[in-house]
Amino acid sequence: MSSWFLVLSYGRRPGTRLDRRVTTQNSKLAFDRTPVYSPAMMMIAEEPQGPPVELSVFSGPLDLLLHLIKQNEVSIYDIPIFSICDQYNAHLKAMQELDLDIAGDFLWMASWLLHLKSKMLLPQVVEGGEDPREELVERLLAYRRVKELASFLHDSDLVRRCLWPVEIAADVGAGEEVELDWEDIDLRILAQTYLDVMQRFAASRPPPLEVLALRYRVEDKMKDIYDLVRSDGLVPLLRHLNSRSDPVEVATVMVAALELVRLRGVFADQQRPFAEIYLRPGDRALDAQELLLRGESGG
Amino acid sequence: MDRDTLTAVVEAILLTASGPVTVLAVSETIDDPEVGEEDIGAVFEAFRENMDRSDSGLRLEKVAGGWRCTTPPSLDPYLRTFHGIAARQRLSQAALEVLAIVAHRQPVTLPEINFIRGANSASVVRTLLERGLLRVAGRKKVVGKPFLYRTSKEFLVHFGLERAEDLPDPEDLVKDDTAAVD
Repeated sequence: MSSWFLVLSYGRRPGTRLDRRVTTQNSKLAFDRTPVYSPAMMMIAEEPQGPPVELSVFSGPLDLLLHLIKQNEVSIYDIPIFSICDQYNAHLKAMQELDLDIAGDFLWMASWLLHLKSKMLLPQVVEGGEDPREELVERLLAYRRVKELASFLHDSDLVRRCLWPVEIAADVGAGEEVELDWEDIDLRILAQTYLDVMQRFAASRPPPLEVLALRYRVEDKMKDIYDLVRSDGLVPLLRHLNSRSDPVEVATVMVAALELVRLRGVFADQQRPFAEIYLRPGDRALDAQELLLRGESGG
Repeated sequence: MDRDTLTAVVEAILLTASGPVTVLAVSETIDDPEVGEEDIGAVFEAFRENMDRSDSGLRLEKVAGGWRCTTPPSLDPYLRTFHGIAARQRLSQAALEVLAIVAHRQPVTLPEINFIRGANSASVVRTLLERGLLRVAGRKKVVGKPFLYRTSKEFLVHFGLERAEDLPDPEDLVKDDTAAVD
């Protein structure tokens, strides 16, 4: 049985007898046509195409559902899920056409309604079993209470925001600490105060200047490059620099190379801008002493 | 302290205070064993009756456990014109719903608010916190430790309530509504 699906045939005329066929096809649910319900379910007289959807701003999916229930003049305790589900989807569609940003909450409700609709299709195994709509009804009732209270607050707000507090701006010394009532202190104020204090603390104690130990010395690099050029004859400087990961080392090598060129220990050739720079032996031989001294004065 | 001085002190405090003035605060200010709290309360009441005239631009109201001086709502158009304020920011339907939920079920967490409304209310709650109508009142000791929200004193002042419990029971409102429809 589990692999069998029930498919409702959708009649165009209200009142057509329910024709239930058992088939192995996937069930197809058409939203845009009025389904025919079993006699136990309430009928909603509705044109097949449905009346034009009237759009107003709904504060949430429950709000929209309540609106539909009111519009159809049906009982909240016996919601005709089939019709309401279709109308709900029609509203969603209209909202999409108007390019209204539909929050996920609306889609979530649409899927819940579909789920309920499919549950209602299944024959009740046990008589007097739980109504699948029960949870929805409870949610709607709770939300309706909230809506009533909100509308009370709205009416109250309409009058109350016309009141202007009378307050002679008393100049309570700007520098003086104003005491806050316990009532007015909440976690947000505490958190903000903490952030303020920490900011003041950080501002009064700037982090100490970090001086890194000298990891690379120009004279060492001069010696390295000089030896390399002597042994290899031709050294691609840019490739050598690119193989270094530490920028400090790159800078040191660069200074060392320039210093060697200045001392005519090596010559540098570049064919065109941005091309590889080749180092080759220069016309002067440098001894270790000179490398060390020059390096110190240059570094 | 004689009656005239007491009246003058209460009036001065009322006009310069930045929020509702409680009888207790006035009593502590005066610090006179001969002046009881009921005397101070009587002065407030006398003020209220005195101001409640059509030729007065002031009103006194009991709100959030204290007394506050305001203007009557009928004068709002003139005040707005004078101060050059076209329209006041309104509370959205979503904001009113969140306030209703918090006022009725406080303390309450965001997931609970979301569940009752069936819609995500995080940004609404943030706006209401910024407007000072809600406040954070600790965290719920459940997984994730969500913040607990309560209505603030500002909420009571804005809606003219002495306590949050003074809000009508939503059940009664629903009953009234259905009765009216029938």
